[in-house]
Amino acid sequence: MSLFAATLESTVRLATPLLLAAMGEIIAERSGVLNLGVEGMMLGGALGGFAAAILTGSIWIGFGVGILAGMALALIHAVICISLKADQVISGIMLTLLGIGLTTYFGRGYVGQNIEGFQRIAIPGLVEIPVLGTALFSITALDYLTLLLIPIVWYFLFRTNIGAEITAVGEDPETADTAGIPVFRIQYACVLIGGAMAGAAGAQLSLAFTNFWGVEMVAGRGWIAVALVIFAQWRIFPLLGAAYFFAAIDALSFRSGAVREWVIDTVAVASLEPAFHFLLNPQVMSTYPYILTIVVLWYVMRQGNLNELGAPSSLLKAYTREQS
Amino acid sequence: MIPEISVERRKNVPQWLAYGAPVFTILAALLVAAVPLLWLNISPIWVYWELFISQPSTIGGVGDVLTTGLPLFFAGLAVYIPLKAGLWNIGAEGQLFVGAVVGSAIALHVQLPAVLLIPTILLAASIAGALYGAIPGYLRAEHNVNEIISSLMLTFAATTFTGYLLRGPLQGSGGQTATDRLPDVALIPSVLTPRLHVGVGLVILVGVAATLLLNRTQLGYEITFIGSNSTAAVQSGISKYKIYITVFVIGGGLAGLAGMVEVAGVHGRLFEDFSPGYGFTAVAVALLGRNGVGRVFAAALFFGLLTAGGTTIAVTQNVPSALIDVIVALTILFLLTAEFVKEHRIQIGSAGSESAPRPEGST
Amino acid sequence: MDRDHAVRMENITKTFGDVVANDEVTLSVKKGEVHALLGENGAGKSTLMNILYGLYSPTSGNIWINGEKKHFENPNNAMDAGIGMVHQHFKLIPRMSVLENIVLGERETTAQRDGIAGYLSQLFGRDRDGPRNQLTQLAEQYGLEINPDAKVWELGVGEQQRVEILKALYRDIDVLILDEPTAVLTPGEAERMFETISTLVDEGLTVIFITHKLWEIEQMADRVTVLRDGKAVDTVDVEDIDRNDLAELMVGREVLFDIEKQPVSPGQTVLEASNLHADDNRSLPALTGVDLTVSRSEIVGVAGVSGNGQRELAECLIGFRPLTDGQIKIDGEDLTGCSPKEIIDSDVSFIPEDRHAHGCAADLSVMHNAATKVYRNGGIDSGRLLLDYTSMADYAEDIVDGFDVRGVTEVRQTPAGTLSGGNLQKLILGREMSRAPSLLIANQPTRGVDVGAIEHIRERMLEQQKDGTGVLLISEDLDELLDLSDRIVVLYEGEIVHETTPEATNKRELGIYMSSGSAATIKEAPAAEVR
Repeated sequence: MSLFAATLESTVRLATPLLLAAMGEIIAERSGVLNLGVEGMMLGGALGGFAAAILTGSIWIGFGVGILAGMALALIHAVICISLKADQVISGIMLTLLGIGLTTYFGRGYVGQNIEGFQRIAIPGLVEIPVLGTALFSITALDYLTLLLIPIVWYFLFRTNIGAEITAVGEDPETADTAGIPVFRIQYACVLIGGAMAGAAGAQLSLAFTNFWGVEMVAGRGWIAVALVIFAQWRIFPLLGAAYFFAAIDALSFRSGAVREWVIDTVAVASLEPAFHFLLNPQVMSTYPYILTIVVLWYVMRQGNLNELGAPSSLLKAYTREQS
Repeated sequence: MIPEISVERRKNVPQWLAYGAPVFTILAALLVAAVPLLWLNISPIWVYWELFISQPSTIGGVGDVLTTGLPLFFAGLAVYIPLKAGLWNIGAEGQLFVGAVVGSAIALHVQLPAVLLIPTILLAASIAGALYGAIPGYLRAEHNVNEIISSLMLTFAATTFTGYLLRGPLQGSGGQTATDRLPDVALIPSVLTPRLHVGVGLVILVGVAATLLLNRTQLGYEITFIGSNSTAAVQSGISKYKIYITVFVIGGGLAGLAGMVEVAGVHGRLFEDFSPGYGFTAVAVALLGRNGVGRVFAAALFFGLLTAGGTTIAVTQNVPSALIDVIVALTILFLLTAEFVKEHRIQIGSAGSESAPRPEGST
Repeated sequence: MDRDHAVRMENITKTFGDVVANDEVTLSVKKGEVHALLGENGAGKSTLMNILYGLYSPTSGNIWINGEKKHFENPNNAMDAGIGMVHQHFKLIPRMSVLENIVLGERETTAQRDGIAGYLSQLFGRDRDGPRNQLTQLAEQYGLEINPDAKVWELGVGEQQRVEILKALYRDIDVLILDEPTAVLTPGEAERMFETISTLVDEGLTVIFITHKLWEIEQMADRVTVLRDGKAVDTVDVEDIDRNDLAELMVGREVLFDIEKQPVSPGQTVLEASNLHADDNRSLPALTGVDLTVSRSEIVGVAGVSGNGQRELAECLIGFRPLTDGQIKIDGEDLTGCSPKEIIDSDVSFIPEDRHAHGCAADLSVMHNAATKVYRNGGIDSGRLLLDYTSMADYAEDIVDGFDVRGVTEVRQTPAGTLSGGNLQKLILGREMSRAPSLLIANQPTRGVDVGAIEHIRERMLEQQKDGTGVLLISEDLDELLDLSDRIVVLYEGEIVHETTPEATNKRELGIYMSSGSAATIKEAPAAEVR
């Protein structure tokens, strides 16, 4: 397989957990609640899914348990942020820490075990397409599921009444409340969905990507998902592009040696070689998503016009109903 | 029928609740953390005994606690001081790394006698951390960019970039993902026990300086005032811009210092995992110690005790040290819950009273 | 019977804690009429209408809608009964479109009718065509042009208001309440607004609108109810009354006060503000060319109904709000565009309108709050790196004693937020006055303060004046202005529309300028009647 095709294939598969987690996070944040516990929830999903799959022998049950694990952590976050109206930042960070701690602790027994994870399913005909075929049409069931979810989540958020209500809650809970929208119920639901999808993302990693469990396996993808939401400005189709972009960086960094060679050969300017060695170094490349996110943030805030861009206006603010 | 549960803000917080809250949360966390221990058929009593009683009763143990508490204290202050001004510095871990990298780089390449080298590298580390910390501070002050996200992103950028440096320009001669051992002149000497280094004396210096800064200087006054009511502060002539940047510079500097002290005092070299998440535990430290530098110190010692103990019980009782993360996280989660209980009285059955209207905007 | 009227609110009383916002107010609105509610700030108009709209429940009293007794738990109940309201601060979501805003939350009202299938389809469906058609029809019917798909943030204020009205009309209401509808409109937009009201009435609606502008009442209303200090003073047909009497009903009769003000001759000019222009928080023009001078030992009173630019004026003068045009000179020095710190350093002191939100740090001690202006530049301790708490505490105690601030157990311990309104105000006053400023800007210094404290505050201001301070006193209390000021100016819609002295004017005349910006036919009052 050519370098390009191989990278493309990795990109598609690496994008799945990012897409799942980030879509979940968009849903939660659009209702006004920031969830910094995504990394912990992904870990919970990864271990929960893996362990369940081993114990029951079914990867689908494993996947389901992974989702539940994510939701369980998300429930704690929801109670703390929505009902107790405590600080969303702390709660999220501590839940990540809790997730790391619990999964490292309980996961010890599962290190070193392997399973038959989700297998690739090739779509006949389409898979014959040169280059794109193997990349896009020979992926696992979970990858297909995620791709399907994208238009569904988009439709849900932007073309249904409930989606409009979620937006209203995240923008101005007081107005939403006055209009009769059940603010707290919506926030709870969105946070739980976010947790479920983070759990799913983690389960995908252990059941369909690596097929084993290790404490390092999520490797910061939860944080990348949080960054993705900002990068995509809380919208779904930009998220698709952004996730593939970040996943491509990830994929390229795995093959960075070959990529560097290719770039250096193609550009053929000797003085630029050290620059390429630096810029295409795998660790350096791993910083790009984070740096780019800050740049996007800076750019958006600098614009001043937060009506087109920017976070849901009521993000991070706990809503209390005023007495009358 | 479903009883009516009403939640009402308290007018006064009863004394026992106000002071007891941190204690209760710790006890609650320990109680819940006992469950995973029981799951692995380990006695929680033994573990907690070892953690809180056996370990700190040896000189070595005390030394460990102090040594682990130091970076937690500095990093805790790095979060605490901006918090006093109303800002969240979630980037302490990144600032810590930046400080460690710069300090180590200097230590490896600059020849100076110890008495000059050590202060130099510590100073350089602080400055590096301060500059790195200034970035989120500036972005917030100038463009109102949320400092939580920016400091978080910069943290991961820093830790990841350090990975690059340790595999490249700073890599040691043996091909490991770490620097060479720092020259002896750069290492902070130990005292009493091999693991207790003189740098611990800095704790007193920094602690006193921080207390003085916050409580006794004009700057501290302005920081506290802005944190309490930024509009009133600005109308009184305090510059939000200046304060926001300053607190992040100070915080970054402290975190950078913490990073270098850890490298030069404990490990002797810089490697990828030299910090077990000090910068994030620092958030917990700052929260637990929210009301004063002294309490931040106590919180740092407490978490230091836990962290140092974690490595010990991993060896002696085969308990994964990850349990410590669980305890830390639970403590803070319970603290958040306790805050709510402190502020609100939960009654079942009776109705709440009416409170004042929102200020009338027009008529 | 009155109870058959479109709206009948009978003996409505509403208290919030100790504050009585409405005191046995009775209001009757006939079907198809345009009924105005007139009153000063704090008279209780908004509270009364919020009760009618279901946002508050009355402490006592009853409401009849078309002869049926009603009890509203929330705005949805009120809307079901046919009552709609457009607030001064719009409840719109800027990022969503007009149509989305109007349709928001509809599932509560229609879901019940359609059962589970209907509920689910409401949730997950999105019928935009039906509502869009309905909206377009409504818009035509009532002459309210609007683009349903425009995002609200793109609309001008007048258009946003139309959206709010359409939002209410969409819910099929019979009575529309408008809270200060022209407060945010240009004169042209206000004209459109009145046309809209006429159309609404032609289509059979009943309209209640809250205002403090007399000319609006003259132009639009059939009847007007005047509220003052929480009570309903009178209800009259607009035809039968003229502006002067309305103004008098609104502000009340003259009241004699005990303060003897001694004449003090003014000194040098300390404040020279010319052509001030500034925007408010919604980026609408709040100051449209204010010229103001204050001399030392002179008290200049600024009269005006809240919302005409007072807050913005004060904030601009202390450097907290940027000017879009104009110049500020303090003691002859041009300080336009300077930071609050620089202005404070030029010996300017400021008492903010909202003492809790802007005047103090509630969880910090009294001492901390007292020292905000003196802790630097050698105010308390020159040249020392560390603050001298002993001196600060002494300073704070001096203020507490000197200004009769009660409720302070220990200056270093007692948090400022625990002081009562009056005492906090005295503390702020103390800290601002103790600096012996050249210029003191006081914005509503006695609002919400108990009577004893009010006297004290006013006496201190007079003392300050004798000591040479120039005072700019912005107040909604006309008695206060008449008692204390050497000169009085009236601020209306962002400019100074009248300048006079207490001797040459009275509350009635001021009331007219405050509520209409220009002199209507003013009856000449015999000198003896004034004060």
